[in-house]
This record gives sequence, C-alpha cells and structure tokens, in this order.
Amino acid sequence: MFRDLTRLIVGAVSCLPFALAESPEVFSFVQNNCAGCHNGKVKSGDIDLVSSKSPKTFDEDRGTWEKVVEKLKTGQMPPPGMPRPPVVATASVTKWLESEFARQDRAVVPDAGRVRARRLNKTEYNNTIRDLLGIDIQPADSFPADTAAYGFDNISDALNLTPALLENYFDAAERSVRTAMFGPALLKPSAVHYSAPVRVNNTRGQNSLPKDLFHYDFTGLSTIHSAHFIHRFPVDAEYSFRIVLNGHRPNQSEPSHPAFFIDGKMVKEFEVDATDLEGQIVEVRTRVTAGEHLLSATYLKPYHGLPPAYNGPEPSKRPPEALISLRGKLSEKDIETMRKYGTKIKTDGLEKRVDNRFESLDVGGPFHQVLAASPVSLKKVYVCGHAAGKHVDSCVRVILKDFAGRAFRRPATTAEVEQFAKFVTLARKQGDSLEEGIATALQAVLVSPNFLYRIEKDQPAAVGSTASPVSGYELASRLSYFLWSSMPDAELLRVAGQGTLRQPNVLEAQVKRMLRDPKSVALVENFAGQWLQFKNIDVVRPDLERFPMFEESLRQAMRRETELFIDNLVRNDGSVLELLDAKYTYLNERLARFYGIPDVIGPEFRRVDMTNSERGGGVLAHASILTVSSYSTRTSPVLRGKWILENLLNAPPPPPPPGVPPLEEAKAGSGTLRQQMEEHRKNPACASCHSRMDPLGFGLENFNAIGAWRTVDGKSPVDASGTLPDGRTFKTPVALKSLLKEDRAAFLDGLTEKLMIYALGRGVERHDRPVLASITAKLPASDYKFSQLVLGIVNSLPFQNRRATMKVTEKVTQARASK
Amino acid sequence: MNYITSKHLNRRTLLRGLGAAIALPMLDAMRPAFAAPAKIASQARRVAVVYVPNGIVMKDWKPTETGTDFAYTRILKPLEPFRQDITVLSGLANNIADVAKGGGHAKAAGSFLSGAEPKYTAGPDVRAGVTFDQIAAQRFASQTRVASLQLGCEDARMVGNCDTGSSCAYTNSLSWKNAETPLAVEVNPRSVFERLFGTVDPSLPADVRARRAFYRKSILDQTRENTQSLMTSLGADDRRKMDEYLTGIREVEMRIALAEKDPLTPPSEKPSGIPFDYAEYVKLMFDLQVIAFQSDLTRVSTMMLGREGSVRTYPEIGVPDPHHPLTHHRGHPDFIEKVTKINCFHVELFAKFVEKLKATPDGDGSLLDHSAILYGCALSDGNAHSNFDLPLLVAGHAGGLRGGQHLASEAKTPVANLFVQLLNGVGVEVEKFSDSTGLLNLRS
Repeated sequence: MFRDLTRLIVGAVSCLPFALAESPEVFSFVQNNCAGCHNGKVKSGDIDLVSSKSPKTFDEDRGTWEKVVEKLKTGQMPPPGMPRPPVVATASVTKWLESEFARQDRAVVPDAGRVRARRLNKTEYNNTIRDLLGIDIQPADSFPADTAAYGFDNISDALNLTPALLENYFDAAERSVRTAMFGPALLKPSAVHYSAPVRVNNTRGQNSLPKDLFHYDFTGLSTIHSAHFIHRFPVDAEYSFRIVLNGHRPNQSEPSHPAFFIDGKMVKEFEVDATDLEGQIVEVRTRVTAGEHLLSATYLKPYHGLPPAYNGPEPSKRPPEALISLRGKLSEKDIETMRKYGTKIKTDGLEKRVDNRFESLDVGGPFHQVLAASPVSLKKVYVCGHAAGKHVDSCVRVILKDFAGRAFRRPATTAEVEQFAKFVTLARKQGDSLEEGIATALQAVLVSPNFLYRIEKDQPAAVGSTASPVSGYELASRLSYFLWSSMPDAELLRVAGQGTLRQPNVLEAQVKRMLRDPKSVALVENFAGQWLQFKNIDVVRPDLERFPMFEESLRQAMRRETELFIDNLVRNDGSVLELLDAKYTYLNERLARFYGIPDVIGPEFRRVDMTNSERGGGVLAHASILTVSSYSTRTSPVLRGKWILENLLNAPPPPPPPGVPPLEEAKAGSGTLRQQMEEHRKNPACASCHSRMDPLGFGLENFNAIGAWRTVDGKSPVDASGTLPDGRTFKTPVALKSLLKEDRAAFLDGLTEKLMIYALGRGVERHDRPVLASITAKLPASDYKFSQLVLGIVNSLPFQNRRATMKVTEKVTQARASK
Repeated sequence: MNYITSKHLNRRTLLRGLGAAIALPMLDAMRPAFAAPAKIASQARRVAVVYVPNGIVMKDWKPTETGTDFAYTRILKPLEPFRQDITVLSGLANNIADVAKGGGHAKAAGSFLSGAEPKYTAGPDVRAGVTFDQIAAQRFASQTRVASLQLGCEDARMVGNCDTGSSCAYTNSLSWKNAETPLAVEVNPRSVFERLFGTVDPSLPADVRARRAFYRKSILDQTRENTQSLMTSLGADDRRKMDEYLTGIREVEMRIALAEKDPLTPPSEKPSGIPFDYAEYVKLMFDLQVIAFQSDLTRVSTMMLGREGSVRTYPEIGVPDPHHPLTHHRGHPDFIEKVTKINCFHVELFAKFVEKLKATPDGDGSLLDHSAILYGCALSDGNAHSNFDLPLLVAGHAGGLRGGQHLASEAKTPVANLFVQLLNGVGVEVEKFSDSTGLLNLRS
C-alpha cells in the first residue's frame, strides 16, 4: 500500500506547481469578480490575487486560495452590493480549485509526526491508579488543573510539570500505595453540608398542582420536590444522612413521606405528619462504598393524600383539623391545641400550600470504617501467591517486576527491578517490615517518569520511510489511553507481548472489545464532553428568576441524556451522523416533562422515539447543549451559531475585528434581537462572519436558554427561519438540521480531525491532511459507524508510527552493535 | 528565651518551638505549649465578633439593675466568673434595619456591623456597607499573615433567596469588605487551619514522619539518577520534557532541605473536617481563633454560631425543634422556654472561649486583656424582629475597656457608637463610623 502511495506522490509532483493561468476559466473569473478590490494597489483585506506579486501557485500561498474558496462557497464574496457571478460559474470555479487542493494534498508526503513524552493528565492518572491498584480514591482530584490545547486536556505540549505538581505526585503515590497495601487511613467523622438549591422567586411554591396528577413519578425522584447531590465518599464505611425538610403540606393532608435514595435505590422511607415542614428532620444511617454516589431526597407520592378539594389521587380521609386563632396572642385553648399538634399547625392560619421541599442534607461519617486493605488491591500487589503476612524475601522481585511492568506499561528490565528492590533493603535496614519496604519501592515506581509519562523510544526508520512503527506495548498504551483514558488491561498487554497486536484482524478485534467495555465511557466524558462542551452543564448557572424550573435533578437529567446518547453511539456502534440528527433520545420523567414528551413515567432513563416531536433529535435538540450555548438570562443566536460552526461544521469564525463593539452589548436602537442583528450585519466588517453565525443560531430560537421548547419569546412569536449565506433557507430547527446533514462532509472532517487530535495528543498538521481525508472518505461505505472512524484513526500512519530522528548512520551502527 | 522584637521572626520562632512537640488530639494541647512565649511583649490588639441568630429572650438576658452592682441573669450566668472582664450593654439599636425594606432577619444581619441599608434583592446585585471589623482588618493587613477570618458554624451559601426576597448574602454572612462584597463564612475547620498553616499533616508520630521523609529523599535521589540515564536514550524533544521533570525533582529536594533547616509546623493536629457534634464544632472554631490570635496570624475575626434565620435543632439540650420557627412563639411558654435553652447553650459555649482567652498568656497579660470580643445578636425579640435594645456584651480589655458593669444607653442609641469605641480600643483611631453620634465610652 505504501508503495502505491509513493508512486502516486511521484506522479503528482510532476504536475506541480500549477499556474493559475492554466485554467482560463478561473483566470477570467478572478479578473472579472475579484480583481476590482484584491489587486496589488488596493489589496483589500490584504489580499492580492492578480498583480505580478500575487501567489500564482498553491505552493506559494495555499492559505489565500483556501480563503477564496471559503468566501465563494459561503457567498460572502463578492460582498453585498457588488454584482454577483452566476451560481454555476462560482460552483465550477470552487470545484476546480478544490480538486487542485485535493491533488496537492495527495502529493503531500504523509508524515507520522512526533508526539513528545505525554504526561498523564488528571483523569488518566486517576483511572490508571484505579486499574493498577484496584482502588478508586481519585488522588488527582486535588492536583492543579491541566492546561488544555486544541480543545482537549490531553495534549502533550500543553501538559507541563511544575515542582508543585511533582510534590503532589509524591503525596499521591504514598497515599495510593498505603491505601492499597495497608487499607485506608482512619478518618475522623466529619460532616459535609449541602444546601438544596434556593429559588430566587417562587419560594412560596405552588398552590395549584400539575394536571395529570394520576400519572406521575411516585418515587418523586424526577419531581421538582426532590433534591439531588453528588457526594464523594472517601472510604467504605457507615455514613449518616440528616435531611432537613422545608415547605408546607396543607392542613388535613395525610402525612408526607420523605424518602432517601442512593444511586436511585431507596434506602429508607420516612413519615412526617406535619403541616409546616420547615426544619423537620429525618435521619438514616447506612453503609456506603467509597467513591462517588448520587444522593437524592424525595417525597414519595407527593400529590397523594391531599385534602379532597385538591382533586388528587387517593385523597385524605382525615376530618378537617382544629384551628387556632389567626392573629394576636394565643389563648389557653390555642396553647393546648399546639401542645397536641406541635409545630404541625402553623399559627398563621389554614395552610393551603403544597410546596414540600428540602432545606439541606448533611452527610456525616465515616463511622465503623473498613480499615483493612481490600482483597482486590492486595491481589494486585501480592502476585507471588502467599497469604498476607507470610511474604518471604524471594517474593520481592516477583512483586516488583509485575508491578513495575504494569505501571510502565511494558516489561520492567532486570536493572529496573534491582533498583526498586534496593528500597526494600533500605527500609529493612531502618527496622521497617518487608511490607513497608515493598510499599516504599512501589512509591518509587509511581513517581518514576516511566509511570508519569508515556515515553516512546526512538527506533530507526524503516527502509524508504521517515517513520518507524511504535512498539507493540507503546501501541497498546496509545490504544488504551485513547479509548479508556487509562492503562492497558492484562489482555491488551498479553497481545502486545505476543507481538500480534499489529495484525489487522487482531487489532480490530481489540478495538471493538475496548469500545464495548464500560471503560469506553472515557470517550463520552473526556472526548465528547470536551468536544461538544456539554461538561459545562455542571457549572452553568441559569438565572433562576427567569428559569425557576432549572434545578439539580434537571441539570443531572440534561447531562445524562447526552451521555447516554453518545455512550450508545460508542458501545453499540451507531452512525456518527446521529449526532447531527437522530430519531431517538434518552429521557426520564423529569426531562420528558420539561420537553413536553408524554408518557415517560419514572426516574429511570429509557430510549424514546422523537420522530413525532418538533424538537427532533441529535445533540442540537439536547437541553444540555442548548443551555451551555446560551447566556444565563436569554438565548444568543450568535453563541449558538458560533457553537455550531466550531463544533459541528469545523469552521470556527475568527474573533471580531478590533474596534467593533460586540453586537449584543452595543444595544444601539430598539426592535427585536433579530432586527438588531440585521442592523449589525449591515456593517460589512461584521457581515462576513455574522451572516454565517446568526442564521444558524436563529434556527434554534424555538429553544429557550435552558433548552425548553417555545413558540413565543416574551410577547413576540418565535421566528426560527433563516437563510444561509449560500441561499438555502429553512423555517424550523428540524429543517435546519436537514441542511446541516447536507453539509455532512464538513461535519465528518471536523469530527475526524478532533478525534485524531485527541487520539494523538497533538495538533494536526498539513502532513496529516491526506491521512484525515482518507479516513473520512471511507466512512460512507461503512454506514458512518463509530467503530470505523476509530479504526481509521487506529490504523493510520501517525497513530501507528513515529517520525524517526535517528540518522541512517546511527541505525547502521546500532544494527552492528546489536549483532 | 530571648526577646525578639521583629513580629515576623517572633511568630516563626514561636511556632518552630512548638513544632514537633505537639501532636496531641485536637487543640487542647496548645495551652501549656504556648506558655513559653508569654514573656514576649505584644503590642497586638484583637477584635472579634461572635454572632448568634434569631434574637434572644430578653427577659432572661437583660439584667434588671444597671451599673456595677447587678445580678447576672439566667442566660448570662455562664459568664459570671468573668464578670470583671465583661460589659453588658443595653439600649443600643440598629436603626437603619428598622426602616429598611426586606426580610426581618436579612435586613438585621445585613446591616448589623455596617449600619448601611441592605438593598432589597435576592439577586446578585447585593449591596450594604463596609463593616467595622473590616476597617480594622484593612489597618492590620500588612502586619499579619491573614487579614481577617470569617467563620461560621452553619451553611455558607451566598446566593438565592433566604428571607422573603432578601439575598442569602445578608443572612449568611456578617462581614462586608465593601458595599458590594460580603465575605462568605468559612465553615470547615480544616480549611481554616490550612488557611493559617498551609497543608502540612502533622498527625503522624515523629519517628514515622522522619523515616518517610528519609525514604522520600532516597526516592528523589534515585529517581533523579535514573532519569538522567533515561535521557541519554531519548530524542531532543523528549529530553526537554524530562528536563522539566528533573527541574521539579531538584526543586522538591531543595524545599525539603529548606524545611529541615527551618521547620514551621502547626501547633496541633489538622482537623479532618466538620465535627459531627455541634458543641465540639463550635469549640474547634473558637480554638482556631485563639491560635490565630495568639500566634498573631490575624487580629480580626467574626464568627456566626448560626446563620441568621437558622433552623438548626438542638436535640442534645432537649430542643428537637428548629430554632427559627420556635422564636415566633407568639407568647407560647413552651416555645419561649426552648428558645431560652438555646440562648443559654450558646452563651455556655462562648464562656469557654472567654475562659481560654483569659488563660492564654499574651505579652504582659492574657489574650483577653488585649482583645475586644463583641457577643450578641442583631435582633432582640425574635418574635417581633425588633432592632432595638439589642442583646450585646463586650468581653476583654483591649485599649483599656473596663468591664464589670451593665451599661444602659438611652433608647435608640446607634450601635455604631459602640463600634467607634471598639475600633479605637484596638488602635484604629476613628471619630465616626456609619450613623454613629459619638463614642460609647466603655473605658470609664
């Protein structure tokens, strides 16, 4: 295959450089339509297309010609007001130029490129410690944040190391090894306080109830009465949960039933017979495993057992209650009544509100902490088969060889093992136990650059090539950090050790196995989360005055929808085009009610058909995406348009030219946002970008700033129509998505490029273009399956190879030396 | 011990002296250990505010008689042993809160220490005024490691509606750096500790610590050697990465060497978090203030035993009901009794703080001699949200505060008059603060 490519290159080279005049059609097109401004004298936009100094060939200035194509294709040039060439002529010219680009790209000598030693980022460090030692203590959480580049936090050049971070590595190594070998440190019980979100308005809750009272989530998990918190438990232990209630339940109601859930499973149901719930407390104690868990407090069947006047299900059978006088000092009788009922009776009068909610949750603990090391961790460390406490000196090297080998992701050399064994001797000389000695050695392994960095050894280039294949183990690491953000597992290391990983069928089987593995969730969280920015849903703060329905369970549900959607794509090998538009999504009751989708009852997520919904499918219908691309108080067609250009169409707009006020701060004139924007676009400096951004954003105006469907904005009806620069028009979000699907080539180019950057840990260069193009070109034949995209990258030259730096003479010397 | 006048050296020396010796649980161990520096003359004066929420039952707080010869009431009783160190105040008012708009709790706490009207809003556009403690904090900022501490034993949220359309910033914080900047309370003792002392963990036995430090040094040593030899097999670009790593190794080695030469170890075990027991929690927060004052790490602190409008329950003293609803007792004797119990409990906890300050030597006297501690609430009768005749007292003698009396002011005397005295007492000379009409003289 490489040989074919070489021949092709040689063939192509003879055609270059081309002279623009070779195509009389293009030449006259430029003369007639561009030269008026873009000549040697005027040089509008600093671009000169016709003088003697202008670039005549792509080699001289490919960038300029690419800009020409883009401006023509998007209809930005010639500028409004100037005569337009016939559409057919423009199409013909851009087509010719593009085919010349492609021809030239094919002529570029592909180059594997070089990625410098890659330091594990925080996520990779946490995952690697988890898989290496069998403990999930997330030691990197307290490390300083990693720097990102090209939109991702796993880029080699950006991952530098500071002395402070190195100190963190030493602390984390000590803590991780000690937890794995001797169990977690004994923690003193302490309390963590969570306040339930407070509404700016609307704290007085509702007197009216939802309409479909007989058909709702009886667990309360997806109702607005619930409160949800994600808590990280430091160790396996018992914890106590103290839930403070708030709000009201009408007089004469049956008792309310608060309940506490961990990860969606009910831990305990309580009964509180009170009207005024402010400050009422329920408590439960239970064992919890270390790690992150979702804690939820809800009211079970909150609309059941209300007084008959509420017309709810199973109304209360209680008689109306005795009331105390409404105003003034309490009578003796009132005091008697209050003694009987306690704070259940609000002295202000008859309670009608149904706004039972939560004030706070306190997590106390750990109590009765499990102090022993987990059997899983002990097994990972003590591989020589002895029971705990019976280790003998001969075990030391067996243990160290295995551990260092896994930590370095390649077999440890004898010299390395001996180096680490010295620490065991050292510790024993200090009077410490064999186990303490091993612990010291393991810590040394975890601060070694061979662990903290993925170092790839230089190899001589293959004959007739500038690149050399990375070793089997290095390839295994590239795969596992690409797909799992973690170290290779035993199976992958085994295959790498056998030397068969590079065989196409073996490699494909491994990739498919890894994508099906739950650990591939790393691609959802780290790749897609950063690419589509939906991770930001965790930190956005929509204005609660305008969007009182935005609370924690909705935020969680929004994130979950996108995660499940992409996870399905990854693990069940869906078509990547579904990101643009899909017939389905994943909803629970909370999110379905928010979307206005009927008959989704209960807190659990399920696949829901969206073909009959105006929302449609794909990530542009996900509230998470629509929220992160909005302001906290309102939508911004500019932000959303920019989001689409950057993330879906691979055409990030340049920053606004200096001296131009951002539109939405200009606030010049009045009228609707749309009118203001049209005004703004009259300025040619703004028009070139805004004519691309704004229509895309306006196409999503049917979604408000937290992604709910709307047909009116304030008092005016929503107008979601638009015209793209190339003249195509649409009237609804669904129609806009159809147009985007027509632009799938740009989408696929962008996705492939982003995934390549993420996989390689470096930016893409000109020499990567033919590689990217060939990966994208193969996608239609495989129904755009995600696995084929991944395989395209995994099988590519830059993923499998590394540019060689050794000169031939060195290579020869080395070859001689090895003989 | 030699007399050392430089404040910086003074503190460092003091802490170094304590270092390894104290690894005892909690902070009780601190007193004997801190006995040594007693001879060092200290010019530092400290000011603190200890705040309790939801008003106080006035009939059991306010002494009937005025002057020096007065009987301690039921709620004040735990403070009687410190009679000569305390001035009980009555008649002072937070006048602006009475006319301001907003929730009764929010406007009281939101204006208490500034006398400025809190803007009625639940949005992010909160506005009140700089508080008197922050005037002192700005004055001392250059002389201490931490300008001021804001501590709390409940909640810390600063946004949203906490009281009938008033922002949580008003009810949940006490100090305001300026009119737009409320200072959130720190509720986690561990964070307070780390703010004062950094992130060292002194809880391990000294010999274990020493051995682990020794191992770490050997690991550093060997890792440096291995990395140097690894570099020879790498390309130039990878070598640059390893250079960065080696620089890190050398820097860590240097830091360890420096720390060995001049150890600065905090004088206690690091708190692991918020204690489960409320009394223990409050005590720990008070202890941290004592340490901070004594080591001259800061001279200004404010602390909220609960956020204003608190719904904390106190089952440990027989009050399982939430605090705030109880205070709207409307004359119900059972409810009033329960509120009184809470008021007593708070004063008991405060008395231990006063006791500790009095027992801690400082310069030519005790910490209490050189401190002015304001205790009280921005509401008197919680049932009526009254802003008049506030339940307040001042402990300590900073700047010659006299103590031993119940000083009754004329009704509606601005509480700012007291703040003028407190500021002058700690050496911040001001003639006027906020709506003050003079200086409330506590020296004679």
